[in-house]
Amino acid sequence: MLVDLQGPWNPLFGRLGLLLEVHYNNPVLFFAFELSVVVGVILLFWATCARKWGYIWREWLTTVDHKKIGVMYIVVGLVMMFRGFFDALMIRSQQAIAVGPDSPGVLGAAHGYLPPYHFDQVFTAHGMIMILVAATPILVGMMNIIVPLQIGARDMAYPYLNALGLWLTVVSAALVMIALFIGDFSHAGWVGLAPLTELPYSPGVGVDYWIWSIQIGSVGTTMGAINLIATIIKMRAPGMTWGRIPVFTWTSMASNIIALTSFPVLGVTLALLTFDRYLGTHFFTVGLGGDLMMYTNLFWIWGHPEVYFVVLPAFGMLSEIIPTFSEKPLFGYVTMVIASMAIAAVSWSVWLHHFFTMGAGPNVNAYFSIATMLVGIPTGVKVFNWAFTMYRSRMRFDTPMLWAIGSVFLLISGGMTGMMLAVPAINYIVHNSVFVIAHFHNMFLLIVYAAFGAVTYWFPKVFGFTLDERWGKRFFWFFTAGTLMVFIPMYTLGFMGMTRRLDYVSHTAWWPLLNAEMVGIGLYAISIACFVMQLAVSIRDREKNAVGADAWGTSRTLEWATHSPVPYYNFAVTPIIHDRDEWAWRRKHGLTSLKPDRYVDIHMPKNTAVPLVLGVLSLAFGFAMVWRIWWLAAISAIAMLLVIIYRSFDKDTDYIIPASDVERMEKEMLARAERVEGNAPAPGGAAGGAYASPQAPSKRHQGD
Amino acid sequence: MSHGHDNPLDHPEVQLASPRGYLVGYVFALAMMILSLGLVKSHALPPAGLMTVLSIIALVVILAQLYFLFHLDLSETQIWHTVALVMTVPLFIMAVGLTIWMFYTLHMRTMIPGLG
Repeated sequence: MLVDLQGPWNPLFGRLGLLLEVHYNNPVLFFAFELSVVVGVILLFWATCARKWGYIWREWLTTVDHKKIGVMYIVVGLVMMFRGFFDALMIRSQQAIAVGPDSPGVLGAAHGYLPPYHFDQVFTAHGMIMILVAATPILVGMMNIIVPLQIGARDMAYPYLNALGLWLTVVSAALVMIALFIGDFSHAGWVGLAPLTELPYSPGVGVDYWIWSIQIGSVGTTMGAINLIATIIKMRAPGMTWGRIPVFTWTSMASNIIALTSFPVLGVTLALLTFDRYLGTHFFTVGLGGDLMMYTNLFWIWGHPEVYFVVLPAFGMLSEIIPTFSEKPLFGYVTMVIASMAIAAVSWSVWLHHFFTMGAGPNVNAYFSIATMLVGIPTGVKVFNWAFTMYRSRMRFDTPMLWAIGSVFLLISGGMTGMMLAVPAINYIVHNSVFVIAHFHNMFLLIVYAAFGAVTYWFPKVFGFTLDERWGKRFFWFFTAGTLMVFIPMYTLGFMGMTRRLDYVSHTAWWPLLNAEMVGIGLYAISIACFVMQLAVSIRDREKNAVGADAWGTSRTLEWATHSPVPYYNFAVTPIIHDRDEWAWRRKHGLTSLKPDRYVDIHMPKNTAVPLVLGVLSLAFGFAMVWRIWWLAAISAIAMLLVIIYRSFDKDTDYIIPASDVERMEKEMLARAERVEGNAPAPGGAAGGAYASPQAPSKRHQGD
Repeated sequence: MSHGHDNPLDHPEVQLASPRGYLVGYVFALAMMILSLGLVKSHALPPAGLMTVLSIIALVVILAQLYFLFHLDLSETQIWHTVALVMTVPLFIMAVGLTIWMFYTLHMRTMIPGLG
């Protein structure tokens, strides 16, 4: 052992002996454990009884289909968002209870019900989960589904790599969930405050869970970024020039350039921290020439580009939703693209604003302050473009549009407070206060709003039926009420001087506002129930809500030019692109028929279990490294290497769908479209002619 | 749609490989390493000059390795790899340069002269 480990260790079980020493005993944990076990058992039981294992294995676990991989990404993201929400509920209720010296304390806590060590783990898990295994997978999943469809590709450039990225992200989420029940999680904040993350100050396994979870997940995200960039550059359909790429694909491109260039920095930073904790080096301690400030610096060199990595796809989603429900092309396409790329470029020179108070000279702070404010220019361009798209248009307030408009409002308020924080003088006052927390939650909620809007918007494309409008609107309004009730008081408390990460609030004058936030989190809880109801009702009414290719009637981009749900080969024949808004162009020219002149063979990638196997092995590797079970880590690492070598010699990775099979499947889908659209569009398109006229107007406006 | 993926050896990137290129890259890197070692061991230059010369040698070796080992050039096969590499140059300058600037001012403002 190169480092001074506290507690038991033996060669066979590593540090698992630590589990025998129970640190705290909290019924909340048991509730979570029971919930996970019961839900898990029910799902396993259902799958076995319904004989679904073959189906799940063939259609989901071994798939390389970008749409199914995207759906799995989003499901993982939503489940983890639910977990992150529970953490938020615990943080808010603790702060609402533990106010003032007379506040009650239960379950071993002096005040409230969470002792400091547990409370710290809760907020660390909340931050890490929401950013890295909730928001990121939802956005990556969305890009996965939509980008190949928008550019007319059969699949991603590297379907196998795509599946591998998914399973590594799942491993990341799985490690966080395992940390909940086996051992504990980091208590050093999601940013990993140095030197608190060093072994002498965090001798448990919590920080190791945090390190390996992020490390494995970030490898997956980097692979996804490589894949999406290659797909956008190389896999575009004929006629899809750079000037015709839909804006969502453009923002995905910008976003993944950021991911590709910044995630390796995170990987290196965490690797150096790993050396400190496992090998006894001193990169981020003050001993032997290390520098703990360097950790903060390196972390934010990744951390701030990461913020734009998650916000840019959200901007792309807004740019698709708003024109559709404004029944009008997007205003300022070129400026939108330039703005996206400008944000990506500036993202690399603003990171120091996360630690203006660290002690850097005034010139340094001024430089980063100005660079940060520069971001406001392209972002402002985007807001004005969306506003001009809506100006004098025929706006429809379907659920996706409500989410989109809510998102724009949040962007404006979050952007304003961001401008305030970009001023070092203000930053010195509000640094580490809940004002900062309210600001970045405001920004992240913009992404969540856009993502929920995008899920509602593209749901019919993937599954062939729309989500229920009534429950969707309830979901939206309760969620919005929750947002206002939580974060307006939080901004206020920030100005009143409340600092972040408090497990005990000494100032009783803040109690009313903390209670208001508690009401807000209750509204969020109701909104989640509405979301679950929305899903349930929509699945129940899926026959009634079934839609054809163009689910909203006024969609504009290429993904609407194939069937809903999209067949696994995406397009019967590779589409030829004529215009920036291809589907709107075809509608205008009466070319909405999905029946091509003739069918051709389609070349497709084969399913493979290798990514799943690599995922399982990397889970074993991560778990073994956390608990320092060296033999298991070595075996799983060698096994991973062997599987990768084996796969590289496998030449049987693709197959051809004969044209006759394509024709048969296409006929079925055309028949389905005829059935759900009622009046079958004649070849050449019944809805041609009028500019942006709804193709299936009969069922749309009823919800408004 | 080309069916070249059936045989990995048909890939243009693989076609670029040649034993001669790898050998030249390896021998050149080795020679530069020996040269650097010799310069340092014999104190051939004053410290500042040594630092400059070593940095230049390092840069030349990086470029040579990128060309001979990674085959980065402006041909159609490799242009995107080269573009991606060139794009990292400003990022590198920003990340490293701004960090040095920041830590320099931090050092000036927080360290007691003569102790740091």
